[in-house]
Amino acid sequence: MTRLMTTFRSILPTAAVAAVLVTSLGGVSDVRAEGDLERLKEQGFARIAIANEPPWTEVKSDGKVTGAAPEVARAVLKRLGVGDVVASISEYGAMIPGIQAKRFDMVAAGLFIKPERCNAVLFSEPDLCDAESFAVKKGNPLGVKSFEAIAASESAKVGVVGGGTEEKLALGAGVPRERVVVVPDPQSGLKMLQDGRIDVYALPVLSISDLLKKANDPGLEMFAPVENTPIFCAGVAFPKGAGALRDSYDKVLAEMKSSGEFAKIVEPFGYSAEAASLTSREKLCGGPN
Amino acid sequence: MDWDWVFAAEIIPTLLDGVVITIQATLLGSAVAMVVGMFFAILRRSRNVFVSKPVGFFIDFVRGTPLLVQLYFLFYILPDIGILLSPLVAGVIGLGLHYGTYTSEVYRAGIDNVPSGQWEAAKAANLTMPQTWCHVILPQAIPPMIPVLANYIVSMFKETPLLAAITVLELMNQARSLANFHYRYLEPMTLVGVFFLIISVFSVVLLRWLENRFKRVG
Repeated sequence: MTRLMTTFRSILPTAAVAAVLVTSLGGVSDVRAEGDLERLKEQGFARIAIANEPPWTEVKSDGKVTGAAPEVARAVLKRLGVGDVVASISEYGAMIPGIQAKRFDMVAAGLFIKPERCNAVLFSEPDLCDAESFAVKKGNPLGVKSFEAIAASESAKVGVVGGGTEEKLALGAGVPRERVVVVPDPQSGLKMLQDGRIDVYALPVLSISDLLKKANDPGLEMFAPVENTPIFCAGVAFPKGAGALRDSYDKVLAEMKSSGEFAKIVEPFGYSAEAASLTSREKLCGGPN
Repeated sequence: MDWDWVFAAEIIPTLLDGVVITIQATLLGSAVAMVVGMFFAILRRSRNVFVSKPVGFFIDFVRGTPLLVQLYFLFYILPDIGILLSPLVAGVIGLGLHYGTYTSEVYRAGIDNVPSGQWEAAKAANLTMPQTWCHVILPQAIPPMIPVLANYIVSMFKETPLLAAITVLELMNQARSLANFHYRYLEPMTLVGVFFLIISVFSVVLLRWLENRFKRVG
């Protein structure tokens, strides 16, 4: 009990300082924002959240962080004078709370830009675009071509990433909760599809094709694009209040897009550099962000 | 850190769905653990080394490896040899087997505590082995075990969030999915804690009562 009290006492000043910081944040956010880039330059790296879902984000077996999203972020940050990125793997659903809690400086995981997310974080201009797809058993035995078809079927189970776009699409199309299975990671999802625990595994096209290529299982195939789903574009997410950092990031990203350097980074991963230029953050957010 | 009562009220029904699964998993898991543990304990005492040694090894093996690893094995690896268990069944078997090895040790201690005179008396009375177990040994061995077994049930209850790893939508998994959906952790996680606390306190009271009751009978 005494030890507990001591712990309490040692936490108390920190909590008080935190409370003061939180309450004063509203007034001084601009000053703080100005300092974000300086702070990153000084520490020499930016903490980013990734998901380990190739080709968006990937941690190689030697621990090297790659994938289209971190590579774009790395190149942009280098030009801004920030030497490297330090990545931590996170669930998609935990990324936005994580950035709000300042666990990372940015999310470079291919987080799709969507209005409800724009309310919670600041996005860069779009960088990586992809359509939705289904991984199914060979010949698509249930014949599902849309989330609505899964909802209409009696028993079809769809595997999704927790907090990911596909979970919302499935629930939004009326698939009951007990048939929307949250799979922990892409490899488990693939295994669950092979074992027949799920009938459909929903992910973006490039993720599914990468997964199927690696699995090399002739019993599986991809259906794409999923009917009634748009093409989604992702951007890098920043915490609210990091507007200045976001704007400098955007500026460099735009330069790299027009110089063709951007295409050189994303095309080897299978992304179209052009698709990102056809839309904008404002369109995807449905307003300014 | 601003607590949102409206959001909290909104998510309680979903969390209650999770509570139901959590309680189901605990009750079924306990039932498996109690029965399996009993068999383990009796088999381990067998005079036939071809029975007692393998059972002893199995118990030590299960006790010495993490429950999470066992759950992954049941859920992701067993299908490769054609055994496809539903998430909840895999979870109940995992919890039951894992805790069965703990409870088997409790049974063993309880059985060893029955004075050897009782065994001899049973033999003298010409009771068969099953009769000796059912009418002499176990009725004396079980009452002192109840508090320890109860402890394991409460402890198993608190381990059910591990089932989230094999996609069982129990309380913790429901909360995570809500948090993922709404970008808020404060309310879901606090409520998970509150639910676990309420049920733990309630079950401790219930188990105390059981313990007292059996003391009087014994």
